[in-house]
Amino acid sequence: MIPHPPLRLDGVSFAYGTVPALAGLSFSIAPGERAALLGRNGAGKSTVVRLVAGLERPDDGTVWVGDWDTRECAAERLARRVGSVFQHADQQLFASTVREDVRFGPRALGVGEEEVKRRTDDALDDLGLTPHAAHHPYDLPPALRKLAALAGALALEPALLVLDEPTIGLDRALCARVSSALLERSAAGVALLVITHDLTFAAETLQRGLVLDRGSLACDEPLGGLLGDATRLEPLGLVPPGVAALSAALDLPGRPVRAADVARELARVARGRPAP
Amino acid sequence: MTGGRLHPFTLLAIAGALPALAWILPAPRGGAATAAVLTAAPFWLFLLLLHDVPTTIAIGLRITTMVASFVWLVAALQPARLVEAMVAAGWSASVAYLLAATLSAVPVLKARARRIVDAQRCRGLSPRGGIAARLRALRALALPLVLSALHEVDERALALETRGLVPGIRRTPLAPPPDPAVEQAARWALLLACLFALFRRFL
Amino acid sequence: MRSLTLEGASFWYPATESPALREVSLEVAQGEVVALVGALGAGASTLLLVAADLAPRVTGGRLTGSVARRDRSGIVLPTPWTQASGMAFTVWDEVAFGPANLGWPTHEIARQVDRALEQLELVPLASRDPATLSGGELQRVIIASILAMDPGLVLFDEPAAELDAEAARALWRLIRLQAKEGKAVLLATSALDALPDVADRVVWLEDGAVRAVGTPELLADVAACDAGLGTSVASVWRASGLPGPYPLTVAHALRRWR
Repeated sequence: MIPHPPLRLDGVSFAYGTVPALAGLSFSIAPGERAALLGRNGAGKSTVVRLVAGLERPDDGTVWVGDWDTRECAAERLARRVGSVFQHADQQLFASTVREDVRFGPRALGVGEEEVKRRTDDALDDLGLTPHAAHHPYDLPPALRKLAALAGALALEPALLVLDEPTIGLDRALCARVSSALLERSAAGVALLVITHDLTFAAETLQRGLVLDRGSLACDEPLGGLLGDATRLEPLGLVPPGVAALSAALDLPGRPVRAADVARELARVARGRPAP
Repeated sequence: MTGGRLHPFTLLAIAGALPALAWILPAPRGGAATAAVLTAAPFWLFLLLLHDVPTTIAIGLRITTMVASFVWLVAALQPARLVEAMVAAGWSASVAYLLAATLSAVPVLKARARRIVDAQRCRGLSPRGGIAARLRALRALALPLVLSALHEVDERALALETRGLVPGIRRTPLAPPPDPAVEQAARWALLLACLFALFRRFL
Repeated sequence: MRSLTLEGASFWYPATESPALREVSLEVAQGEVVALVGALGAGASTLLLVAADLAPRVTGGRLTGSVARRDRSGIVLPTPWTQASGMAFTVWDEVAFGPANLGWPTHEIARQVDRALEQLELVPLASRDPATLSGGELQRVIIASILAMDPGLVLFDEPAAELDAEAARALWRLIRLQAKEGKAVLLATSALDALPDVADRVVWLEDGAVRAVGTPELLADVAACDAGLGTSVASVWRASGLPGPYPLTVAHALRRWR
């Protein structure tokens, strides 16, 4: 294990007043790794995001972002290493144009003007927002506002991205845009932690499944094995996504969970050719 | 009058500086008592500059009572109970909600402002720091707060229609606050006391 | 018996040139669940607002063609938090808000509220303060609130968006139950995989107009798959290059495979 992974939770416990949310949570995420944080509503997922972003401090244990202890850092300082996007992000845009809003993060980081422009342009481009860059955020439909909020976090070019339900309200085309933008960042070494209940999106984009159940980690394993297994998912309140369920039901070799892989195996098996 | 000997510009400067300081400085630490004393001190000090001690006490107590009663009202009155009471008394539901919505606007806006500030902090905007930083933070908060609040007013109007707020139908009070005879009598007594005081004052 | 009939309905939002709905004709019968599918912006939300008599009455704009409603309607918006009254102390009070506004007697209100809370599995949350609920819990509370008003025509706009898998499954069961009880249900959703078990008919909207109407089998058509509106099973079958017709669900696929 590398000495200072982009994110490490060490025995983290947290309660909202008297209501416990997390108990003894420990895991770490390596550079370039794409982890899904799954679980029922109320299992504690959004709390993890708030702790990682530095908006809350753990009651017990430590949240390490690189070599920074979140207890010692204000959220605005953590923004140098973590890009966070919360639920209902579409209500949090605050500049007069999309471009101004996305620029905000890199400018606040204090990088030079050239660099700010590059990061902004890249983020807008990755999410297909360049045609809307000059529009007022509240003139755009909510789905595009959500993408603009994500672009704002991408423009920070942080080592870690933490996203809370990035695909609610997006149609398949927009989900695909988010998926490819995240895959590209991950290939460049950015670590991803994505809360989602869209298991289809998780299957396509993410690799590792961290499942929370009542505040503790019930499961930490590759999504490939987990998503097709209804008997494992059911007690955790999860249901295999359509493609993974098909793969398991037909017992396709390798039990793939991504649509392209399943399509390929289907074709292969149907034509009677042995799988490699 | 004590203050009359100071240069008029000095008076203006003090009058301008105090509200500015009150706005800009962080809330005093050290518990409610310290905060209360520190905040009330300038008020009483001013009165003392303008008047002699007995008049200071007289005027000071009057104004304090007036302000205090409004502060108490906003804190103690729960919008839901006001709606129930108004509807039970025969007021139309829409008027009742209008009043209640006005009263509950502040906590809703506060909660929303909180969420916006959180999201902005996560992009590197610090709400703390020097004057320039704070002003910038305030401006960055104002726009989304107002815009999303206005946007939501539109959506809320539509949404409340979906909850059955149709003009002309008498709303069923669910749990009208109990109105014991003692309280009713007390209300009349208060009104009579005011009229009596008025009567005595001018006759 | 038809609960909702639209004939050639077109609708323009205020100050917009192009119509959000073009000549839409649609019927929803009592006891039937009709699902609206389409890309974002295709007009499903607008259609629901027209069906709920909120457009153009509250939204403004212009409506041509005819809309006939037989029953009182209730609509669950895609942003349920805006539908919260903001002045209820408990979940029970929140659900009772609607029926109270309709002026029903207290015993009737209590009956409807208790029933709705049970149907949405909210009884353990009945005394919670609505402001402390999570997004998914609040969505269920709003659904309960609308059902408590006992509408004959129930309209849902993306009701499962914030729900986790278990809550979503419970919701689909509830929707079928509403239809069984004789209500007419019109629902806009992007949860296509659930529709074979939930919807009696599917209406495909494109750019404000009805492109196709049929049973959920529609979601296994070549055209639907190519438009990104096929079920996961049908879409992946198409992507594999295997010949059609494509199976709609895992169960269909298993039958084909054997």
